[in-house]
Amino acid sequence: MRTLFVLLAAVAGILMPGAAAAQAKLVVWHSYRGGEKSAFEKVVGAFNARPDTKIKVDALAVPFDAFADKISAAVPRGKGPDIFIYAQDRMGGWVEAGNTVEPIDFYVDDALKGRFIPTTVEALTYRGNLYGLPLDYKVIALIHNRKLLKTPPRTTGELVKVAQGLTNRPAGKFGLAWSYGDFYYVASLLNGFGGGVFDKATRPTMNAPENVKALDLLVKWEKAGFMPAEPSSALITSLFNEGKAAMVFSGPWFLGEVASDIDYGVAPLPTIDEAGGQPMRPWMTVEGVFVSAQSQHKDAAFEFAKYVTGAEAGKVMALEGRQSPAAKAVYDDPKVQADPVLSAFRKQVEVAVPMPNVAEMTMMWSPATTALNKVNAGNSPREAMDVAQKALQKDVDALRKKK
Amino acid sequence: MSPAGPPASRVRFGIGLLFGLLVALAGGWALLLGARTQLEDDWTTRRAIVAVNALGSLVGQATDDAGVRKLVSAWQGTHPPGTRVRVIRGTTLEASTDPADTGAKAAPRRLAREEKPLYDQAQRLRAGVDSNREGGAPKAEIEVERQGGARQVAAPLEADGKVTGMVRLLVPAEPSTGGRSPVQAVLLLVFALVLYAVAAWLLPPRTALLATVSTALFCLAAAFFVGGELRALGLAERDGQRALASTVAAEVGRARALTGASAIDGGAWDTDLARKPHGLVTGAGAIDREKGEAQAQRVRRGALRSLLTLAALGLLALVVVGFGGAHRVGRALVTNRQAYAYIAPAIMGTTLLVFFPFLYGIALSFTDSNIYNTNLPLTELWVGLRNYATILGDFSFLRRAADGHWVFNYLNFYWTFLFTVIWTITNVVWGVSFGLLLALVLNTKGLALRPIYRVLLILPWAMPNYITALIWKGMFHRQFGVVNQVLAIFGFEPLSWFDTPFTSYLTALATNGWLSFPFMMVVSLGALQSIPADLYEAARVDGASRWQQFRAITLPSLKPALVPAVILSVVWTFNMFNIIYLVTAGEPGGSTEILITQAYKYAFQRYQYGYAAAYATIIFGILLVYGTIQNRVTRATEAL
Repeated sequence: MRTLFVLLAAVAGILMPGAAAAQAKLVVWHSYRGGEKSAFEKVVGAFNARPDTKIKVDALAVPFDAFADKISAAVPRGKGPDIFIYAQDRMGGWVEAGNTVEPIDFYVDDALKGRFIPTTVEALTYRGNLYGLPLDYKVIALIHNRKLLKTPPRTTGELVKVAQGLTNRPAGKFGLAWSYGDFYYVASLLNGFGGGVFDKATRPTMNAPENVKALDLLVKWEKAGFMPAEPSSALITSLFNEGKAAMVFSGPWFLGEVASDIDYGVAPLPTIDEAGGQPMRPWMTVEGVFVSAQSQHKDAAFEFAKYVTGAEAGKVMALEGRQSPAAKAVYDDPKVQADPVLSAFRKQVEVAVPMPNVAEMTMMWSPATTALNKVNAGNSPREAMDVAQKALQKDVDALRKKK
Repeated sequence: MSPAGPPASRVRFGIGLLFGLLVALAGGWALLLGARTQLEDDWTTRRAIVAVNALGSLVGQATDDAGVRKLVSAWQGTHPPGTRVRVIRGTTLEASTDPADTGAKAAPRRLAREEKPLYDQAQRLRAGVDSNREGGAPKAEIEVERQGGARQVAAPLEADGKVTGMVRLLVPAEPSTGGRSPVQAVLLLVFALVLYAVAAWLLPPRTALLATVSTALFCLAAAFFVGGELRALGLAERDGQRALASTVAAEVGRARALTGASAIDGGAWDTDLARKPHGLVTGAGAIDREKGEAQAQRVRRGALRSLLTLAALGLLALVVVGFGGAHRVGRALVTNRQAYAYIAPAIMGTTLLVFFPFLYGIALSFTDSNIYNTNLPLTELWVGLRNYATILGDFSFLRRAADGHWVFNYLNFYWTFLFTVIWTITNVVWGVSFGLLLALVLNTKGLALRPIYRVLLILPWAMPNYITALIWKGMFHRQFGVVNQVLAIFGFEPLSWFDTPFTSYLTALATNGWLSFPFMMVVSLGALQSIPADLYEAARVDGASRWQQFRAITLPSLKPALVPAVILSVVWTFNMFNIIYLVTAGEPGGSTEILITQAYKYAFQRYQYGYAAAYATIIFGILLVYGTIQNRVTRATEAL
């Protein structure tokens, strides 16, 4: 009897510490599909195969539509993953709601921060605290049909001239097709003029004179007639694929929809003559790797975040997943350098502006879209933006109000 | 009066008195126990906050890092032995009096990896200070953790208006003052029961008399209990205030000794978690008598309110049991126990899934809840009827613009309500008339291929409505939509459908019209087929025209089937979220928003949860009124 006891204790002694320290099993949620998914899974596989790690990671693809709501619902209750990958726009809301994303400032030294394109780090910083490591970014750039247009325009002056030359309205041909009814795209003009939707203290600045000037330019372009009316994304895709649109302002998601027989090129957005030669500054969305505030293995989770945002993983994601990694070193790789699409987006991101990550962003879309629709329907930008400013100010105040 | 005989009511009032007193006294006792523990807890926390604020202000004044360490060890010397101080700046542990931080781990050093929570806490406090400067719901600038009787408190360090770090202070536990014995309450209970027994034995067994006696005894016992307990609670409150004041005075004295400064405002150290001074204690550490009294009053009044509620409940128990109500309920439960057992799961389910969320939503509508303050309890966000007043009291739905045009304010409740009513009426009228017409056509005798037509006409209803909605939205595209292309064939200019409220409304109406007629058609067709053919024959023999037959036979026979269908259809259309959200999305400018989509936007785009809850409650109210009226009308139609 006694020997049995000793034996049991010995076995327990061998097993228990092993069970505690040997393996941290992590779950990561992402919303990738297709090529992005297989590239990401390859990276995860490489991480799991590292001989020196005791961390095992399981990647789980969650449909994009439900992703953010699932995170908001599951993570604070401890039911979520250890790590999740999502764009920065919901981050502010998660931080304010609490118990969702773990601040990782403490783990991150300057060397690690220096690994990334600086604006991508800025995108994941909220109230002075870093909440995620940037994995990749998405910006819009100028995509052109090389059969119709060999060299893309560098300035808006050139753009207007080229676009007008390529437009033939009766034949349904347009020089430029882009979602100028979508505020996300139009923001590239607003930011180019030095405007924006919020100031540093998250006070709305919808009717700033810079924004109005930018919209004035948009109106001028519309009157010039080289853009199709009511441009939905489906319409833009079909125009471009039928060779009826020479240029498109869009992001990497658009390239997946381009027909195989179209020979396209990607170039940075033009500089704005009307804004003294400043570049168009598109909004950048950054996908961050977030550590769940409820994870039992935060250290291990951060290890993984560091790995997937590194140069090695980045190369796989770039070349096989066709993404634009945030790690700078990826772009020194000769294969990546030789890729015209990746290097064009890399050039574009230099002048991109991180899309604000404050919770107030969701309130901005509705008044901004309304204002943009009014402008597109021929109303004065000044008045439209004044109305938007008032509406947004009211909503922001309602949240800031003290009882 | 009572169904049972008088002797039974003697016992009943006795049991009623027992139950009533148990509710009032035992419940009150438990409540006060909680309140007193809470009170003591709060005072301990407040004293700890005074200490951490004092420490923070001293450390903040220190000129260099060595100064900080000297000050911290001196501060430790003036405080009780269990006190622990840690000063954190960025990722550095600047100073510490924790025995764990000695030897290799002595300050100053970088924080170890497992000490990340300390760093995060400092960052959180800094973010709290920053966002409180911007306004809005107050965020915590001081964090308190309870460790038994001890308190671990953390406060930000400030220099030149910027947060530079954090102090963490462990205040050791102090002996508890001890609770109050329940002897008094038990004695009151026994005493009241004995008195009742004597009275019931002596008095004639009349229900009214027994009720009076037991009620009087109940009130007496409750009054004694409440009076005694409130006085005790007031004393506890005063002790707490005194202890706080002496803590402030002691900290002021120590600070003077440590810094040599004479003008120190200790009153400013007594703050809430957002570091706003309570103003209860003066600079030197004395209680502001008026405020102290007011606060004691507040505590007593709060307790009184709860105790009176409990007493009222107790009295209710007394009356219900005494007059035999409990007896009858109990008998009903026993007789029909099978029925109650069957519906018990359903009752529990509806309580959890329907009534609780419903009541929570209504409670939410009286608060100022939004994304920034969901961490606060609803009672602290209470704004009363403000949301309702803002929604219903804003009549500015029409105003004159600078150029003399009339402009609607589409975000106004009354505009949205008006639009919802128009939307509902036009949809139902269209659905009923077109559905009925098609039903009449399909009901034609000898119609070839009728089953095929019927299936085709029901199809729109069978398709998921969001798919239909998206298809229709595409058909109204300005340049490539089929509607504009048809218009172009006839030589009309293409229309931007979503640019004006009226055309935008037409798109939604068309979509919903397409979706709603099949239901009405199916209902009418069924009713039409049940009309006996000989009615029409008789009418024809009498020489009635087709129109007369329709008016006198078809319509009245359809009524019993159509009225419920219309009622349902009104409610559905009133809350037809999908079509509006997907087809017009409220464009232009929120003019084609209906109430339910507007409420959604307030909750999930503007994050004003309380306001959205009030909106939803108003929608419920409108439908409730509609339902009541409709019910009456229907009953009237049934009577015909």
